[in-house]
Amino acid sequence: MLDAFEILTTSGIVLWRRSYAPVPSSVVNSLVGDVFIEDRRPKDAQGQQQTSYKKDKYTLKWTSAKDLGVVFVAVYQSLLHLSWVDNLLTAVKALFTKDYGIELKKAHVTKLNTQPFDATFDALVRKLDTGSTRRQSEADSEGPIELTPPSSAASASEEAVDEPPPPPIPAPQFKKPAVSRKEQFEGTSTDATPVPTPDTSRPSTPASHILTAKSGPGKASRRSRKAQHTLTSAPASSGDESSAGRNKKTATKAKRRWDADGFAVEGEDEVLDYSAAADSQQEQGEREVDVEDVNASQMGSRTGKGQFVLKDLDDEVDAILASSKQQVKPDSTEGDAGLLGSATSRLTGLFRNVVGGKTLTKQDLIQPLQQMQNHLLEKNVAREAAARLCASVEADLLNQRTANFTSIDSTIRESMSKALTRILTPTSSLDLLRDVTTTISPPNPRPYVISIVGVNGVGKSTNLSKIAYFLLQNQFRVLVVAGDTFRSGAVEQLRVHVRNLSELSRREDVGKIELFEKGYGKDAATVARDAVTYATNTAGTEGNGMLFDVVLIDTAGRRHNDTRLMSSLTKFGQLANPDKIFMVGEALVGTDSVAQARNFAKEFVDTKGKLRNNGVGMDGFIISKCDTVGDMVGTLVSMVHATGIPVVFLGVGQHYGDLRGLNVGWAVDKLMK
Amino acid sequence: MATSSPWLTWAFSPTISAILVTLVISLLLPVLVHSYLYRKATAQALPAFLLIGPSGAGKTSLLTLFANGTPSPTHTSQETQTATCQLPSSALASTDRYRSVNDHTHDQPQLLLIDTPGHGKLRHHALASLTPATALKGLIFVVDSAAVSSAAGLTETAEYLHDVLLVLQKKHTQSRTSKGSQGIAVLVAVNKQDLFTSLPVGLVRQRLEEEVARVRLTRSKGLLVDSGVGLTDDGEADDESNWLGQYGSKEFKFGHMEEYGVEIEVVGGNVKGEGEEKGRVDGWWGWIGENL
Ligand SMILES: Nc1nc2c(ncn2[C@@H]2O[C@H](COP(=O)(O)OP(=O)(O)OP(=O)(O)O)[C@@H](O)[C@H]2O)c(=O)[nH]1
Ligand SMILES: [Mg+2]
Repeated sequence: MLDAFEILTTSGIVLWRRSYAPVPSSVVNSLVGDVFIEDRRPKDAQGQQQTSYKKDKYTLKWTSAKDLGVVFVAVYQSLLHLSWVDNLLTAVKALFTKDYGIELKKAHVTKLNTQPFDATFDALVRKLDTGSTRRQSEADSEGPIELTPPSSAASASEEAVDEPPPPPIPAPQFKKPAVSRKEQFEGTSTDATPVPTPDTSRPSTPASHILTAKSGPGKASRRSRKAQHTLTSAPASSGDESSAGRNKKTATKAKRRWDADGFAVEGEDEVLDYSAAADSQQEQGEREVDVEDVNASQMGSRTGKGQFVLKDLDDEVDAILASSKQQVKPDSTEGDAGLLGSATSRLTGLFRNVVGGKTLTKQDLIQPLQQMQNHLLEKNVAREAAARLCASVEADLLNQRTANFTSIDSTIRESMSKALTRILTPTSSLDLLRDVTTTISPPNPRPYVISIVGVNGVGKSTNLSKIAYFLLQNQFRVLVVAGDTFRSGAVEQLRVHVRNLSELSRREDVGKIELFEKGYGKDAATVARDAVTYATNTAGTEGNGMLFDVVLIDTAGRRHNDTRLMSSLTKFGQLANPDKIFMVGEALVGTDSVAQARNFAKEFVDTKGKLRNNGVGMDGFIISKCDTVGDMVGTLVSMVHATGIPVVFLGVGQHYGDLRGLNVGWAVDKLMK
Repeated sequence: MATSSPWLTWAFSPTISAILVTLVISLLLPVLVHSYLYRKATAQALPAFLLIGPSGAGKTSLLTLFANGTPSPTHTSQETQTATCQLPSSALASTDRYRSVNDHTHDQPQLLLIDTPGHGKLRHHALASLTPATALKGLIFVVDSAAVSSAAGLTETAEYLHDVLLVLQKKHTQSRTSKGSQGIAVLVAVNKQDLFTSLPVGLVRQRLEEEVARVRLTRSKGLLVDSGVGLTDDGEADDESNWLGQYGSKEFKFGHMEEYGVEIEVVGGNVKGEGEEKGRVDGWWGWIGENL
């Protein structure tokens, strides 16, 4: 069963909601944060974007009406597998936008009178809720499919929604005519459909007894059995039972629809006749009870007319779902309205393009977006990231109207700038100095540990020295750890850096720096741990009782596809447990920095097997050699896009002082130039 | 033709009356056009107030409360939202101060509220609407007084507040060099006072001031971010313009910002009450009324 359904605007206002069980607000909030804002959507095995999101014990599915800025979210427990939710979302979206679209388009709308939507939603749920999970129902429904004649079986698979396998038995019984009528219009199966109808759904026929017997255990089938029980043995008396009551309401409503159908379509009489004949006296009595029931309860104000509305709704929902299914298959069915017509429309299109106020279609966007993508590729943005960015811009702009006096190109540029800004801006800004200060000050002071990782030759040691210099400038005491116990010369290289830096700091009278090394061949993780212990050493020191404030660990460069060396990073991460892990990557064109970043990030799992830093692995990138690439700073985007890890520093030169924070506006400007 | 020709003849004839009529028309036309355009322009521009603050502070809730009278349930915002609201009769607009209490001839003034998303990645929306010469009457910085009791919450709030104030300060210093600048009023709306875990207004103010001072200090020591690659950093001048408040001062007080035309007031309240209780927002309405 659904736990909640919410309709909210992109500005965060809940326009309408229905909750069946209390769902903490944080669940939907994190959907918005993770999926809509940070675009960190879980990928499934095929690398396809998933359309559901899991948080705590809940699964969330959503759909959005971009042009109106409305998002539809369904929340249910992950234990269930509610496949009908997709249909519910589609239907709710179509109906809600139809009812409230015009109002929503107005400026300054912060509230809608969505009271009338309650009834619509209830009706939708009643119609679409197959009550069971898809997997179970598929197993369950083997029975009925065997029993039904071929044409009906075909319709069942075609219109999976309208033919909810076993559960609330009366519902399919009365829904069937609607399906068959539609099929008659479509001309797929005309005369065969009405006949099998009773066979599949008739609760009193022997066939459906088999059906029930065949259904497996589980809530749904239990309910269906109960429903059936109500219908066959004690229909009139059990009206007070809630689940049965629910079913009956559907039944009554549907009966009205039959009348209407009878008027509308010939050949339907057959069905009507049949049901009338088959109606036992018991059911007759039940119908009377139902009418009272309906009048007394929710239906209250919605008398005769209201029921017709609901009937229309049923047809409409079928149409909506059918069309949404069709949309998936063929994409563009462009009708050409003659040569003259197309010429004029193209002219006005051109005019609109300049003046603005044009509603953007897929055709309009394809070419400029392709240009934009090429532009990004020229800026050294990875193809994958460029494609994704363009897709998000397309989704953002499709069916939107361009502003007055704005061309499509500039609209796209603006949207792309926004997308780039969003991707590059870190969710929470890194203030290293503050972090260090907080960590080393009471109540429980300890040294702040930073480690630097990366492939061979990207400038790990250089950037480590730059960070050390920056920290020294701020009066911190820094211990540099030679964690590269592998490549010969690595320790010596660091020693040179440390000597330079300590000379500099002595001259400028700032912090102090020292090298911690255990030679070659030792396990890096152990060396790192020892270094931290050494830095924490309290013997003979003043101040906060530690020898050093910050421990900077250099690590061996490793090829990101060298699994043996890479996996040792996991142990390193767990043993040294750094506060921050930064990865150094190059801004240079043609490096496979994205693959590197991915492979490094996935090594940093904690002991519970969860990725560090909220599931992204590392805390930041240092992009080196930015001074050599000019405008082609696309690597920044590719790396952030691939991993969700922010860029924190840029290396911009050969000097110790050549380290910069990332200015997002600057980077976006360069990329869009 | 027959009817219009005598008129034309008259209009082009050198009689006094023709000259007078032409004169009147030529003098009145610009005035009429101007007044027409002017009225159209002023009718649209409502006094605007910007809602700003970290995520979850209650900006959107506040907006819906002010616009509709009751707060709607909300989730994290992704986009800005505008709404028009009317000053409640309990709050007097500054222009109406000398009006008699019993004078009901006059409608309460309308105003425009602009809500911005507070998520870290989306703050540029808010900061962007600050920089151009938007005719903002005031800025409402919403603070979650329960969240600021934790170190992380306090830091986040103070960092955002610091950035916003710095933008305002820069805007002021820039406009001072070009033309006469107007100050801007800032309300620090200490929200969620109904919560058990919330801090009292005075304490929130004090903590924010201290924390902003700390943020300012580390920002000044942090790495340069502005210049990016290959640009020369022009040392001192840059430092000074990136320093919030009096350059080099140790303490930070909201009062210091008055020098830069930013008047800060801290007022407590809550959008929602416990259970059925209504929120307490009179103080904020009062501030809005004063700054209309
Ligand atoms: N107890 C209490 N809760 C409040 C109050 N004001 C807001 N809230 C709750 O705080 C939560 C966040 O409020 P929002 O208005 O969505 O926050 P926001 O500032 O718009 O957040 P973003 O849109 O993410 O920037 C909501 O669940 C509100 O119900 C208040 O005065 N008291
Ligand atoms: Mg909001």
